[in-house]
Amino acid sequence: MVLGDARAGKFAENLTGFGRMLRRAGLRVDTSRIKLAQQALTQVDLGARIEVMAALESTLVSRHQDREVFQQLFDAYFKDPEIARQLLAQLLPQSKASKTPAQRSPRAQEALHVINQPNRKTPQPREDEIKLDAAMSASDRERLRHADFEGLSASEYRLVERLAREIPLSLPRHNARRYRAANRGDQIYWPGLMRELARHDGEFLEIARVTRQTQPLPLLVLVDVSGSMERYARLLLAFLHQATHDLRQTRRAVFAFGTQLTNLNKAFRLDDADAMLASVNEAVPDFGGGTLISEAIRCLRQQYRHAIVGNRSIVLIISDGLDTGDPAMLDEQMAWLCGQARRTVWLNPLLRYDEYQPLAGGAQVLARRVDQMLAIHNLAHLESLASALSQLLHRTKRSHPRSRSLS
Amino acid sequence: MTESEVKVGSVNLGVSPAIDGLIAELATVGYFADRRLATALHLAISLGRPLLLEGDPGVGKTELAKALALVRQQKLIRLQCYDGLELRDALYEWNHSAQLIHLRASSEQRSAEDIEREVYQPRYLIRRPLLQALEEPAPGAVLLIDEVDRADEPFEAFLLEYLGEYQVTIPELGTIRAMSTPVTILTSNRTRELHDAIKRRCLFHWLDYPDRDREMQILQSQVPDLPDKLSSQITGFVQRLRNRPFADAFSRTPGIAESVEWAKALVALNTLQLDPEIVQNTAGVMFKQREDIQALEPLLDELLAPQN
Repeated sequence: MVLGDARAGKFAENLTGFGRMLRRAGLRVDTSRIKLAQQALTQVDLGARIEVMAALESTLVSRHQDREVFQQLFDAYFKDPEIARQLLAQLLPQSKASKTPAQRSPRAQEALHVINQPNRKTPQPREDEIKLDAAMSASDRERLRHADFEGLSASEYRLVERLAREIPLSLPRHNARRYRAANRGDQIYWPGLMRELARHDGEFLEIARVTRQTQPLPLLVLVDVSGSMERYARLLLAFLHQATHDLRQTRRAVFAFGTQLTNLNKAFRLDDADAMLASVNEAVPDFGGGTLISEAIRCLRQQYRHAIVGNRSIVLIISDGLDTGDPAMLDEQMAWLCGQARRTVWLNPLLRYDEYQPLAGGAQVLARRVDQMLAIHNLAHLESLASALSQLLHRTKRSHPRSRSLS
Repeated sequence: MTESEVKVGSVNLGVSPAIDGLIAELATVGYFADRRLATALHLAISLGRPLLLEGDPGVGKTELAKALALVRQQKLIRLQCYDGLELRDALYEWNHSAQLIHLRASSEQRSAEDIEREVYQPRYLIRRPLLQALEEPAPGAVLLIDEVDRADEPFEAFLLEYLGEYQVTIPELGTIRAMSTPVTILTSNRTRELHDAIKRRCLFHWLDYPDRDREMQILQSQVPDLPDKLSSQITGFVQRLRNRPFADAFSRTPGIAESVEWAKALVALNTLQLDPEIVQNTAGVMFKQREDIQALEPLLDELLAPQN
């Protein structure tokens, strides 16, 4: 293995090339980190591979989940950069795709279509019988509110999707540990009081107080993207993306699962819902496949344990519960998940059938373990989700039997 | 030249004596660091950067800071983080009652400005760990910011300036810079992901469970009365527990701290050899959850099977 000849200037070049390769593999490596890595290499013995590797790892890696990629690329790059490039291509299959002109979002496309064809009277397809504008009649709205997502036409579907984004989902709040200055409060704000005293010769006119800040409970969403759920998943993702937008920094974690778990947080950080859906489409490798909930939770437990914040998270599981895995395994993993969460809610689209009973093995486990099961197949139920979440928190977790709502 | 060596030009070098020295020094106080960890630690010291240690609970993150303070004969200053940790708990707070007494005792002839100047003197400042670390004279302190993932985001944002510049500004007193840059170790159990801005200021090291030999070294150093055979059995047992797929069945697998505690308990019970009964009787030392102790029972035979 040859790192390069320092006298010929190859060393810095190799290091930069390695840094760029890591960046392409998704590691957060910027120029300052590469510079730091260069400094670090002056402090270790370049003859000792393990020291070089440790120095580069401590300066170029910042997340546990990136370590394996780092080690593979380190091994390959410093043996042969060409092998590393091939390895990188395997890691990132889409990196070879040719660059196509930027595709317009469906909304932009629709907007352009309207401008290009003003007042042209063409026979309307049947699915456009419902007007695609916000000024539709109350009866149209009411009809759509109770329309089953699965039965919607393409146009209706797009419209419902847009309406879903307009429904506000205010998450229950809890008292944070941090205080803020306020007119009323149960504690004195000493720095403020002292300033008041200093200003008025040791006397005070008002007592400065502090009160507890509140903050929304963290949210963890697990969305089933298996074949039976594909359509609901897309719509609910759009809904959740918009409704929890103000939690996007740290208090919202979203994962998709089918046969494996996919972290959707990066996609959810995008502001535009269409861009988010496009990004999710790219990220999820198992859209429309089978369902292995226990495997997803196990992966969550191993790799993303931090997504469950200190027993305070509200966990939303969006699934029809048609799990193909071992129910005993699912039960074990669900026990862990429910034990870690403040509340666990199962949003089940199959509740659209009046006579629905959780008979499948996976559904039975979910129904037994979660705090509440809610229907989620139309907009009326989406609207009731917010109130259901706040009601959940008024119930004591362990003292009441787990209840279900079949409404 | 083997693949495990790096050649720079035509010079082929050995290992770094500074890192070797650090490993040896830490070993004298019972901390057995591997070369990767020692390299990261050496870099943190020599580059004056904070070291972020992540890893499962009980792998020895906090212990490293303690051991480092011991071998370098520096003062260990520890800030335990928790949700809602505020600057007044971490950095400084004015001694309001003392200020109040001063105000009351001041004669009325003085102007408000004079009195204000008097009460905001360093003597009325209560110094919390982060400020103490800045004011520690050479050779400086070892600052342990423990479980930083438990603190909330606003506190993390404050740490950015502190860790980047090693200085803080107290409005009434001005800017206070570190007399000697503290060796800073941050630990995180990954209950949440830290902000990338914090990570950019730190060197990163993931601390894994130790391998079998290293864990045996730790046990023998921490529990001197431990018979060799028992130490080997304990190590084999916990290593199997952590490495097997069924480690998932437990809500928390035992860390080094737990295996040391278990070894101490077994020595106290005059145990010479592990058997299912003694493991069951002492499982509470390793596991803190009833479900975990129950999950252990069917696995005992497999875990206690003779080593290959």
